[in-house]
Amino acid sequence: MAFLEYLSSPSTQRTLLVQSLEHIRIVGYAMLFATIIGLFLGIAAHRFPAFRGPILSVTSTFLTIPSLALFALMIPIVGIGDTGPIVALTLYALLAIVRNTVSGLFSVDNAVVESAAGMGMSKTMQLWRIELPNAWPVMLAGLRVSTLLTVGIAAIAALVGGSGLGQEIFRGIRRIGSPGALESLLGGTLAIVVLAMLFDLLYLAIGRLTIPRGIRD
Amino acid sequence: MTDQTNDTKQYDKETAIGGDAAVGETMIELRDLTKRYPGEETPAVDRVSMEIPKGEIVVFVGPSGCGKTTTLKMINRIIEPTSGNIIIDGEDVTTIDPNHLRRRIGYVIQQIGLFPHITIEGNVGTVPRLLGWDKDRTDARIDELLDVVGLDPAVYRSRYPKELSGGQRQRVGVARALAADPPVLLMDEPFGAIDPITRTRLQNEFLRLQEELQKTIAFVTHDIDEAIKMGDRIAILKEQSHIAQFATPEEILTNPANEFVEDFVGTGATLKRLKLTRVRDIAVVDDALIGRLDEPREDLQKRLKESEWTAMLLLDKDNKPARWLRAPDFRHDRPAAELGLPARAMVEKQATLSDALEEMLVGSAGVAIVVDGRGTYEGILDVDSIITSIQTMRDADAEFYRAAKLIDPADEVA
Repeated sequence: MAFLEYLSSPSTQRTLLVQSLEHIRIVGYAMLFATIIGLFLGIAAHRFPAFRGPILSVTSTFLTIPSLALFALMIPIVGIGDTGPIVALTLYALLAIVRNTVSGLFSVDNAVVESAAGMGMSKTMQLWRIELPNAWPVMLAGLRVSTLLTVGIAAIAALVGGSGLGQEIFRGIRRIGSPGALESLLGGTLAIVVLAMLFDLLYLAIGRLTIPRGIRD
Repeated sequence: MTDQTNDTKQYDKETAIGGDAAVGETMIELRDLTKRYPGEETPAVDRVSMEIPKGEIVVFVGPSGCGKTTTLKMINRIIEPTSGNIIIDGEDVTTIDPNHLRRRIGYVIQQIGLFPHITIEGNVGTVPRLLGWDKDRTDARIDELLDVVGLDPAVYRSRYPKELSGGQRQRVGVARALAADPPVLLMDEPFGAIDPITRTRLQNEFLRLQEELQKTIAFVTHDIDEAIKMGDRIAILKEQSHIAQFATPEEILTNPANEFVEDFVGTGATLKRLKLTRVRDIAVVDDALIGRLDEPREDLQKRLKESEWTAMLLLDKDNKPARWLRAPDFRHDRPAAELGLPARAMVEKQATLSDALEEMLVGSAGVAIVVDGRGTYEGILDVDSIITSIQTMRDADAEFYRAAKLIDPADEVA
């Protein structure tokens, strides 16, 4: 019952709310950059077969670097604070976005693209008017996976001087064994889970609003 | 042709000329057109030269891998030729901007390739929008075209491709290709992926449409029967698109140029020629005994008795065939609308004798009812007329071969 007490205290609520907003900010920036870069890399990998292998293997290599190490490695480059975590999370988010952009574009029926070309659409028009809209559901799934991934990993930002819900979690870890430590740990974790669910709902809504009826399941 | 307005004007002018379809004028000319893929020893298409007359359907037919599709796709440069020239309506289009070229050429492929994420309206309006038509004109054109291909605009405009059947999608594909009224259409096995019954219907509808539109059409198929049915002229292609024979279907069936053509056309030439003759080409019985659904049954019975006919065809108020009545049917005490058998086996005038014969066999009445595009009654076709027509063909053949023996074969080639 100590946990409920902890949760109902106004100071905890304020802390969790502020840290949640910081957390969203970090994830938001990382996803923004990852989307822009990932979209670009994905389109390039689809269009130019020579780039496909390198782009996909480099982006998947990012994901194999232990997150703690990658966050720490950012410190000598960009110093402490949120910048390092944002850069690191951007790198983590890339793979799912790039991979889904590529497979989304490949999933567009060749006949559809050929008939667009046959009607006199330029390559650019084909991409924006035909290929991307049809690849969008798959791409959106990639964005969703990346977001959920970064929401979780973003907790590590607190270790390199960044903000977000990781602060509450590490406050608990540092004091483990003493009263209130477990509550902090659980509280931060719970807030991250809630955030992840909210992001999931957001993607559901985006899907409803942006996927045309003709290609919805 | 620097801006789109100009482009559009050019278009309408070309269409106006296309409508007249001056006989013998060449619309598409291929000059030594060659496609050679890197790393392959022999070219996929080797120096094809061909002239396609304005207002005609020219069918490219041949075994798979003969390069017929490649040849077709070089006309709108979806596949860029390695060498040679494409001349459309007197203009060498081999090196002009391909996107501008393609907006002037309708394109229908086997898989149709409707854009799944946009509505039928958006699909059909694609090229008009690319050409910069205003909204009212585009809207009016979309309605007109959906009507032309037999889809009610009120129902189908806002549907998505996945909500349509295969046959309906194909109609939308044709409507989309016709959207900006291009003088030239390229069709790559357009009816290939459709069930046989729908295919026959779509072929007939398309031929009827073509009678009005008089487009210049290059049409690819691997099916010689379809080629014979659809083509004003047929180009039978061997490997690398070498032309084995380029002639009218009649000529190809009666006088194959070489063994390759003979083999490709296969056996059953007489049956195939049933596909060449259309219902409109032979005498249709137009004085058959006709009654009306709303006539009193006593009158119907009297007229049937007094006539020399064994059956009477009842039409509904729109002049559409409704039921067949025979004398014994009057034993039943029912209104005329429920007597006899429902009228089936209807064919249009564009239908081939082969279609008509099939309908007769299916309909079991031994006759087919000839109707127009809206289903209005036009006449009756019986088995006898078809047999007479086959005999005439045979006689003509016999005469042809007798004549052929008398003339020098060398003249005949010329």
